[in-house]
Amino acid sequence: MILIQVILISAFGYFLVRFLASPNSARMGAWKKILAASFSLLATALVLLPETANNIANFVGVGRGADLLLYLLTLAFVFTWLSVYMKSKQDEKRLVQLARKVALLEAKVDQKRK
Amino acid sequence: MNTDTYIIIPVCNEAKAIGAVVEQLAERFRHIVCVNDGSRDGSAAAIAQTGATLINHPINLGQGAALQTGIAYALLDPAARYFITFDADGQHSAADAEKMLGYVRDKNNEVDIVLGSRFLGSTLNMGTAKRLVLKLAIIFSNLTSGVKLTDAHNGLRVFNRHVAENLDIDMPGYAHASEIIHSIAKQKFKYAELPVTITYSEYAKTKGGQPLLNAVNIAFDVLLHRSSKK
Repeated sequence: MILIQVILISAFGYFLVRFLASPNSARMGAWKKILAASFSLLATALVLLPETANNIANFVGVGRGADLLLYLLTLAFVFTWLSVYMKSKQDEKRLVQLARKVALLEAKVDQKRK
Repeated sequence: MNTDTYIIIPVCNEAKAIGAVVEQLAERFRHIVCVNDGSRDGSAAAIAQTGATLINHPINLGQGAALQTGIAYALLDPAARYFITFDADGQHSAADAEKMLGYVRDKNNEVDIVLGSRFLGSTLNMGTAKRLVLKLAIIFSNLTSGVKLTDAHNGLRVFNRHVAENLDIDMPGYAHASEIIHSIAKQKFKYAELPVTITYSEYAKTKGGQPLLNAVNIAFDVLLHRSSKK
């Protein structure tokens, strides 16, 4: 297995496991920020030094810099999608609890009136 | 009259059927709780005309959430010992519910929850596609939960206070049936299955129930939910 495959597969596996284990921990939030920061730093570096992408790609075993970017982007996309999905599930849960409270309070008030 | 028992009916757009369902139950049960889950038809008005307690979700939250709301309400009554979940569209029979209740009573503490099974009992007018999906669902359920059942998605269940207090349905959609089965395995509730008759009336058929493809959503939610809970 070439280096890039090891890197991508383990990164993907790692984030998936961490993510499903604790979707909303402070640690995960911190990792998200670190990731975002490194992505923007990397992007800036690549704009300034276009050849670097190719060099890094060659180093890890991918043909072209563009391919490397695509792989990383795929990873970022999957990660983002999962993140949004988990967040929306969590929000939904909170909404349910809130709405249930409202419904039960209303029912209690109705009963007192009778 | 079963005064220590609460019937919990999640209602979503069942204005045409709910009146008759409550009427049928009222002959045997004192406490009937209808949780109107954001219906857009006249369900709330139809329930108000019956003797049932009406609880209105301010917005549609899904059947699982409605069940949990009904259970939470029933638990407010310290005299509530047994809880029955019942579908609003008239597919279940009140006699079956009472029979299952009798079983839980007789087996006092030997059985915590009884689930209705249409495959042990008789089913009227079930389509072939529906039968196939339900059979696949039960294979999936038995494999993933470790609880051996013959019908995974039957809305008729009778359980005692121990189960009601520990059941925490937090999957709002239709995946709650799997969630309840998972709870049985995790919390080691003593369970049994009894045959029930399900009537797929013309009314229920035109409504169509949930689309069969929804099984994919349920399977996905169940698997993801479990891996995140561990």
